[in-house]
Amino acid sequence: MARNTESLIAELVDGLEPVNPLRLRQGIAVTLGALALTVGSVFLLAGIRPDVSSALAQPVFLLATGLFLVLGLAASVTVVMMARPQVGSNHSGWVWAAIMVALLPAAAAVMVLIGGDAALARSTPAHGLNCLLAASGLAALSFAGLTWWLRRGAPTSPESAGLVTGIAAGSFGIFAYSFHCTYSDIVHIGLWHSAVVVTCALVGRLTVPHLIRW
Amino acid sequence: MKSDEASLARLMAMAQTGDRQAYATLLAECRGWLRSYYSRRVPPNMLEDLVQETLLALHQKLATWDSSRAFLPWLAAIARYRWVDQLRRIYRRKEDELPEALTSPAEEEAVAARISLESLFAQLPEKQANAIKLVKIEGLSVAEASELTGQSESLIKVNIHRGIRKMSAMIEKA
Repeated sequence: MARNTESLIAELVDGLEPVNPLRLRQGIAVTLGALALTVGSVFLLAGIRPDVSSALAQPVFLLATGLFLVLGLAASVTVVMMARPQVGSNHSGWVWAAIMVALLPAAAAVMVLIGGDAALARSTPAHGLNCLLAASGLAALSFAGLTWWLRRGAPTSPESAGLVTGIAAGSFGIFAYSFHCTYSDIVHIGLWHSAVVVTCALVGRLTVPHLIRW
Repeated sequence: MKSDEASLARLMAMAQTGDRQAYATLLAECRGWLRSYYSRRVPPNMLEDLVQETLLALHQKLATWDSSRAFLPWLAAIARYRWVDQLRRIYRRKEDELPEALTSPAEEEAVAARISLESLFAQLPEKQANAIKLVKIEGLSVAEASELTGQSESLIKVNIHRGIRKMSAMIEKA
């Protein structure tokens, strides 16, 4: 920069406009709005599984959807906080939720190891691929909302912010799609539903940093 | 006026409402604070550029400060981000040795120490910090740094790359 700092300061002062500070509650409202839109899209476009009342009585369904919801909330709140830089902030809380969700593919892997081909067949690959694609598509809503929020903010670690954005969006996507998917088997959920989160995390890590760097 | 946390936070809150006089005072105070902040980790002829870049970033990201939070840790996060970005962008610059006045450690309060560039730099393994210091800050060539440290040229490059990547991942770490 060739200009001197006094003239830069004068320019910046001349260009000052009142701003609305980014509030945590606004970011959380964006997150919850995106989640509501995602769930609403499943209800309106795909429809909920006909046996949802009996599914709600199944521990695997309840635990898995609950874990994905918790991971989505933890990761999205982290993303909201990442938009506001502050030395001393800790953005690692979502990791514990991710570790808990990692128990789902771990349990599925144990089932496959014990049950062999029969257990693997319970993962229903054809339907699983459908879950992966549809839920990843649904994740786009939260993905867009959180990326927009980050662009308004000043994330100091774009790579981490991208990764966590993908995790949040993928978790919300598969949480919502779980109300349509008729398979409540741990092998199916552990492999295919978890794959949505992993896929979205990779996409977030690779694409979001380019969109939010400042 | 002394650049203390409370005064700067008050000026910032006024600037966010569009108060230009408060903003002018705030930017002048931030300029002084940033000069001091960067002085030991930036070659003198690049200092003012970095200060200007940081002031510009402050202006663009004015809305990301919330009056319920402290001001200086916010400014420090922006300053660290710009500093690491500069390290990444500028591969090699020949610079003279830093003047003694700029390298001597000053008394810092506990909070200032936590948000300083030194505390960020201190998170790096010694070899990575040394490689960045010699090549990116003091302006030696990779070959000169290699000769001085006994590390191979490729190892110097790897250490610079890894060190900057590590720092960029922990900008907000106190």
